[in-house]
Amino acid sequence: MTITRRMLLAATILALPGASFAEDQVLRFATWNTDPESIAINQAIATKFEEANPGVKVQIELYGDGFDDKLTAAMGAGDAPDLMYMWNFPAYKDALLPIDDLIARDAAELNLDDIPSGLMNISKIDGKTYAMPIGFTTQVVFYNKDMFAAAGVPEPQAGWTWADLRTAAAKFRNAETKTYGYAVDAKPDPFDFEQFLWSNGTKYISDDGKTLDGYMNSPEAAEVLDMFADMIKTEEAVALNIGDDTPGSALFKTGKIAMFQSAMWSKTGIDESGIDYGVAPLPAFGSKPVHSVIGASGLSISKDAKDPELAWKFVKFFSTPEAVEMRTNDLPIRTSVAEKLGLATDPITKPFFDMLAVSNRETNAFLKNPNWGQIQANLATAIEATMVDQGNAKAHLDEAVAASARFLN
Amino acid sequence: MARTFTYGALIFLSALFVAPFLWTLLTAVKTEAELVAWPPVFWPEDWRWENFATSWAEQPFGTYLQNSMTVVVLSTIGQVFSSSLVAFGFARFRFPGRDPIFVLLLATMMIPWDVKMIPLYMEFNFLGWINTLKPLIVPAWFGEAFFIFLLRQYIMTVPMEIDEAARMDGANPWQLYWRIHLPLMLPGLVLVGTFHFMNAWNDYLGPLIFLNDQTKYTLPLGLGLFQGRHDVDNIAIAAITVILCLPPLVLFFFVQRYIMDNALGSSVKG
Amino acid sequence: MTDARRFSSRRRPNLAPWLFISPWILGFFLFTLGPMVFSLVMSLYDWPVVGDRRFVGLDNYRVMLTQDPKFWQSLGVTVKFAAIFVPLNILLSFLLAILLNVKVRGTALFRTAFYLPSIISGVALVMIWKWIYSKDYGLLNYALSLMGVDGPNWLGDPHWSILAIIIASLWGLGGTMLILLAGLQSIPKELYEAARVSGVPAWAQTVYITIPMLSPMLLFTFVTSLISAFQQLTIALLLTKGGPLNSTYFFAMYIYDNAFKFHDMGYAAAMSWVMFLIILILSMAVLKYSAAWVHYEGDVKGGGNG
Repeated sequence: MTITRRMLLAATILALPGASFAEDQVLRFATWNTDPESIAINQAIATKFEEANPGVKVQIELYGDGFDDKLTAAMGAGDAPDLMYMWNFPAYKDALLPIDDLIARDAAELNLDDIPSGLMNISKIDGKTYAMPIGFTTQVVFYNKDMFAAAGVPEPQAGWTWADLRTAAAKFRNAETKTYGYAVDAKPDPFDFEQFLWSNGTKYISDDGKTLDGYMNSPEAAEVLDMFADMIKTEEAVALNIGDDTPGSALFKTGKIAMFQSAMWSKTGIDESGIDYGVAPLPAFGSKPVHSVIGASGLSISKDAKDPELAWKFVKFFSTPEAVEMRTNDLPIRTSVAEKLGLATDPITKPFFDMLAVSNRETNAFLKNPNWGQIQANLATAIEATMVDQGNAKAHLDEAVAASARFLN
Repeated sequence: MARTFTYGALIFLSALFVAPFLWTLLTAVKTEAELVAWPPVFWPEDWRWENFATSWAEQPFGTYLQNSMTVVVLSTIGQVFSSSLVAFGFARFRFPGRDPIFVLLLATMMIPWDVKMIPLYMEFNFLGWINTLKPLIVPAWFGEAFFIFLLRQYIMTVPMEIDEAARMDGANPWQLYWRIHLPLMLPGLVLVGTFHFMNAWNDYLGPLIFLNDQTKYTLPLGLGLFQGRHDVDNIAIAAITVILCLPPLVLFFFVQRYIMDNALGSSVKG
Repeated sequence: MTDARRFSSRRRPNLAPWLFISPWILGFFLFTLGPMVFSLVMSLYDWPVVGDRRFVGLDNYRVMLTQDPKFWQSLGVTVKFAAIFVPLNILLSFLLAILLNVKVRGTALFRTAFYLPSIISGVALVMIWKWIYSKDYGLLNYALSLMGVDGPNWLGDPHWSILAIIIASLWGLGGTMLILLAGLQSIPKELYEAARVSGVPAWAQTVYITIPMLSPMLLFTFVTSLISAFQQLTIALLLTKGGPLNSTYFFAMYIYDNAFKFHDMGYAAAMSWVMFLIILILSMAVLKYSAAWVHYEGDVKGGGNG
């Protein structure tokens, strides 16, 4: 008797109506953006697309911080969304649709001359393109104008060096008010951190992705790590992420650090804090050419997409000047839009474009070796150990290289 | 004297345990500036109660609440019922293979979810359950090892004489379960209900993996959306956390006396 | 009577127990067995989440045991955590339960207070603990400074970080406490009355009545705490991300990274099976030796409803 009742109940649950979209053709579109502004923008673009394509419904799926967990499970089970934001192309490329043929076919419509080639390259692996770029950021140094004026320190100029930055930073140190000139992250994202190695004439891994020794542990690499460690030691910089979890942006916004190296994603928060700030390009190592990492994300199509042609139509729509202009939460990928909005000349946003212009020589390490994730974990430990030790970079990097040997083939 | 000591200890310790909640509450009514102030501000200058309403309005939390309630209520009923049945089977019968099967049951608690998840996803996808609440409800109707183990231990503290007396009066196994043991293990059932309720109410990974579309989301998923890639909305997290805590808190306050209800202690007089 | 029943059950298989446990059996075949077998197969493959899979035999296990220092390191961290957390969790829960078992006014409020941290969801808990542990501005070091102690860098010093995680984990002992409290309440009061009449001191009542009578619940908390200690992931993942210098890099976190960061599902599955076996062996050992100290009032060894 029990069993029957229980089963009846279970049967009722099973019979609950599931999601039914019988009338509309659904395009599933997964994003990691979860702030209300980004959600509203994507929704607005989707609505415009739906208006232009009756019978199509764009279902925006917000995965937020759980983006990778969710996507991994869905792809592993063969149920990926049709469209998705993407940046980690090597990890997911086998589940994505190469779009080179589609791009070639619709080249005129796409007007590729309007998109910097550095941005088209972010998704290129072994000659195949896996996404259209949707936004980008380069890395810059934000500085607090009021603090510079109060301390009588000249503001950073284009073409400045790390030596300049350190000289300036030293002047802001005040133990009593816990004020520093700069902040060094002891646990940086290695993806961003490679720009310092590039700017000092080296890189994490050889271009063929097979050699670490002599790259990751080269004297130039050790020099970069030791320099940052030394800045912590001399108190030119506060160390972030060793124990205290206060983000650098919070310190900058409350006037506890005068200079803060970050990217576009910090700008909104700094604007809201109301401080008077300027933006400078990354400093150089002596006379060596400076090179920023380009953080760019793209819009990819799943290789299992039910209707690839429709998905591609949406990607194209997402790349139109009209849609790019709507995406005010990112730097525009189209030069024409940047010019129209005056972003390339605005002193606050100009350095981002200046950095973009000089940052096209290097390829990110994660595009070179399929096991980069594991290697990077060892590298991150070496960077952290150097900051905790306040030096001794060479030994820590050697250790990382040795521990990564088994991931090289 | 001893009583004073007990009170002192209870008040001191509970203060330690309540402090995190109070801080969350304080955070929820602060301004952004007070949050990043350095050194931190303990008491907000101006208590911004409207933070609760604005955070709640930022996402369709009403829909989330409805989904969460559906999941929690249906799965808790299933969990309490099925686990108590199974626990009774293990605790009060001897049958061939019982002990190895019980070990197998315990073993299911030890499987890390990381590797279980993809096959489970495949299965639910095959059944057409992805993007529905079913994966979050149906499995609870088949009992969970933790709760079965818990209730089995509970039943095994009940003296066997009670069963024998009931059987003497002609009770069959089902009546033994339904009339004798179910009432006796009421504290255990309330415990199971409470724990399962909390797990389901706060579950983040399950809904994340099995639900796609915002109209199906549960409350913790909405809470998680405040944690972006580069920015975290701490005030909204704190505000929604406080709201999320209230239903289980009130519920717990009212059911806890059943956990403590000394059903057994008074029933075996003599 | 009992004998007659047992006799009859020997001749004709008794369906009753199977009907009672059938929900779980069914659920096991529906939702557990498949995934378990699948993950075992996976562990024999080089299995990226997407893309080509390659059979590698026991290679994943061989690499793990012979070439992967992180495997041993994370296992060490986990064992250290379990060795400290499990006894502390049970002891403190037991003491709190005893304290709450005393009949005083307002116990309902106190019980709710102790259970409160278990109600707060993970995201917010971590926010709170970061604030407590902050080196220069944290509440904990502020409290220590009032006592004239210069507090350590809790989350930034590899020597302290594991302790910090243990303390944070112990905050959630409300569940264990409730289980023991429910167990305490079911001990017949007559036993204590009889002891008091015979002049047995309070400590002896605890040792000779409370602990034996509570032993089934103590066994339960022991086994389940052990399992959860080995699966410890969320707090460390959110609070320290395994740092500093991998000092809180738990075994479960390494599995998680292999699955979701490195997309090496085969390796993650192999690690999961190793973890599974370790927990299984430990739990079996606990259960095997539990007969010596666990006292069941209603043991079915002598009889049963079958």
